[in-house]
Amino acid sequence: MEQIFDSLVQFWQFTGFANCTWQHLVMIAIGAIFITLGIVKEWEPMLLVPIGFGIIIGNIPMFPGMNIGVYEDGSVLNTLYQGVRQGWYPPLIFLGIGAMTDFSALISQPRLMLIGAAAQMGIFGAYLLALASGFAPNEAGAIGIIGGADGPTAIFLSSKLAPDLMGAIAVCAYSYMALVPVIQKPIMLLLTTKKERLIEMPKPREVSQKEKIIFPIVGFLCTAFIVPSGLPLLGMLFFGNLLKESGVTRRLANTAGGPLIDVVTTLIGLTVGASTQADKFLTGNSLKIFALGLLSFIIATTCGVLFVKIWNLFLRPGRKINPLIGNAGVSAVPDSARVSEVVGREANPNNHLLMHAMAPNVAGVIGSAVAAGILLGFLG
Amino acid sequence: MKKPGLFLSALLASLGLWGQNLSDLIISEAMPGNPSSVTDDYGNHPDWIEIFNTSQGTVNFGGCFLTDERSNLTKCQITKDDRSARLGPRQVAILYAAGNSALGTYYLNFTLPCGGTLYLVSNDGRTIIDSLCIPASLPEGMSISKFAHDNKEMVFDDIHPSSPSPRSLNGRHEQKTRAQKMKETDPNGWTLSVIAVAVVFSALLILFLIYNLSGNIFTGRVRLKRKARRGSPEGPEAAAIALALSDYTSCDEDIPAAIALALHLYCEGGVHDTEPGFITIKSNSSSAWGNKSLNFRKQTHKI
Repeated sequence: MEQIFDSLVQFWQFTGFANCTWQHLVMIAIGAIFITLGIVKEWEPMLLVPIGFGIIIGNIPMFPGMNIGVYEDGSVLNTLYQGVRQGWYPPLIFLGIGAMTDFSALISQPRLMLIGAAAQMGIFGAYLLALASGFAPNEAGAIGIIGGADGPTAIFLSSKLAPDLMGAIAVCAYSYMALVPVIQKPIMLLLTTKKERLIEMPKPREVSQKEKIIFPIVGFLCTAFIVPSGLPLLGMLFFGNLLKESGVTRRLANTAGGPLIDVVTTLIGLTVGASTQADKFLTGNSLKIFALGLLSFIIATTCGVLFVKIWNLFLRPGRKINPLIGNAGVSAVPDSARVSEVVGREANPNNHLLMHAMAPNVAGVIGSAVAAGILLGFLG
Repeated sequence: MKKPGLFLSALLASLGLWGQNLSDLIISEAMPGNPSSVTDDYGNHPDWIEIFNTSQGTVNFGGCFLTDERSNLTKCQITKDDRSARLGPRQVAILYAAGNSALGTYYLNFTLPCGGTLYLVSNDGRTIIDSLCIPASLPEGMSISKFAHDNKEMVFDDIHPSSPSPRSLNGRHEQKTRAQKMKETDPNGWTLSVIAVAVVFSALLILFLIYNLSGNIFTGRVRLKRKARRGSPEGPEAAAIALALSDYTSCDEDIPAAIALALHLYCEGGVHDTEPGFITIKSNSSSAWGNKSLNFRKQTHKI
């Protein structure tokens, strides 16, 4: 009888109930909120649902040493987490993004690329603020990249510069990407006049297949020679696009832009979520990172919109740019471009800005990869 | 026959050496008469040798040889197929010259001679990867070390006695990370931010200029100059031909003008034969444009 009782006590000690703390419950609640937002509100469900469930997985209270936790060497979760830790997943996601993205909007209106550069100010604004908040330069760089609104880039850079902060940075980046419509719209409305919101832009020209094929090759050579440290991201992005546009590697492009990116997105979401164990995540630094991340999104959107407004002062009528596409310079593809379209149509239902906004949007992807390369080069 | 064979075997050996990156290994430090700088698993203080991997990849030195005799390069072999003989990027391994290799993977069957030379030999038993001369007058308590002037390039060209530094990169022990250097040189981050913004703008500006130009070319707003075809008449030549024709035929002035215009258009690429949608002045036998039977209805429609 005593032996049975001892076994039951031992079993109880291994259960989650015995090891549960309030921090675990808070994190499980956060995971549940993520899942709810993904399913009910449909805010980035492909990211929020895996991350949310990953948060719950990572915060199931357990007896340490059972070799099942994400931070325990050799466990299944730890093995899957190596893709995040070593930075394998982000370039694979970039390969898929390249294979899915149509750069026609950018090629037909290359001047809009500069908006993608202006919106990267969010990265460096957050970097300065993070330094002022007491973070080390490498940590500040990893936090700053949240302003690029690019989850894979944020994971890639933080895994190299500040692995300890990666969980908080990744969750923060993906959370704010899901909240792009909520964050950007009021800023856009605040910074633009009714007259500016009504600006109609000429229809972009059609782009030939030859141009589409040349784009990834020339684009890669230019950016990689300027910032070689961004090679894994830029190389995969342009390679994926070449697979798509070459027309002779359709199967590879379909795989990269379909099953491959789906698998990697699932794994990255789940493992990033699982890496947010309460003891590592519920810290003062995480709160600071969330605050800085929000500021970086605000700075990026503000800079993008203001850049267009200033640029318009030098453009003749008929060539002016609707400042509502300035927000799309952050690389949350295609959500930020969709925000431009929605806000633009609220002002003028006949004014479709989506195709115009896609140009700075994809330029933002390139810009944030270049910015990540620079930060890695200086601080890595 | 022997020479090509020797050449081939040497080539294969060197290829094998390169293939495994064994050439990236160096003997970075050695210490005969070790007083207490290194203690082995048995609690002893044997002589020791430090092997350093200068590359950015992992190198397996299992099966390589260490010797203090030039005439006997296979004097002591490091255990083959031992996982612990894998040396990570920029990592060091300590080998104990205890005079008894049976003590473990990292033990050698000789002790270090003052005034002798150590050789690290590839696993083929012939190719010397690196060597280190131990001065006869090495001060007591000092080791002989190789130093790199430039730790980025990893060129170890400075060899002299120094305080023992086993299991660490010789010389600059306190290598500052880039982030630490940045904290000292740019504590507020403004310099990095300005440079980074400038680089991002430059990269996208260059792309803008390239695609703007290529867009103009593809849409025909900018035309690339075509090379004049060999043997084809140029504009002035076309006019000269037309004048000659005028003199020869002494006909109406409109005819040579028309010929000159046609030749000029032909030379400038204004005459199109291949592109669809352009009207051509050249006859095309495969075209059915002139076929009346295809252009007129045989029967009119009755309503």
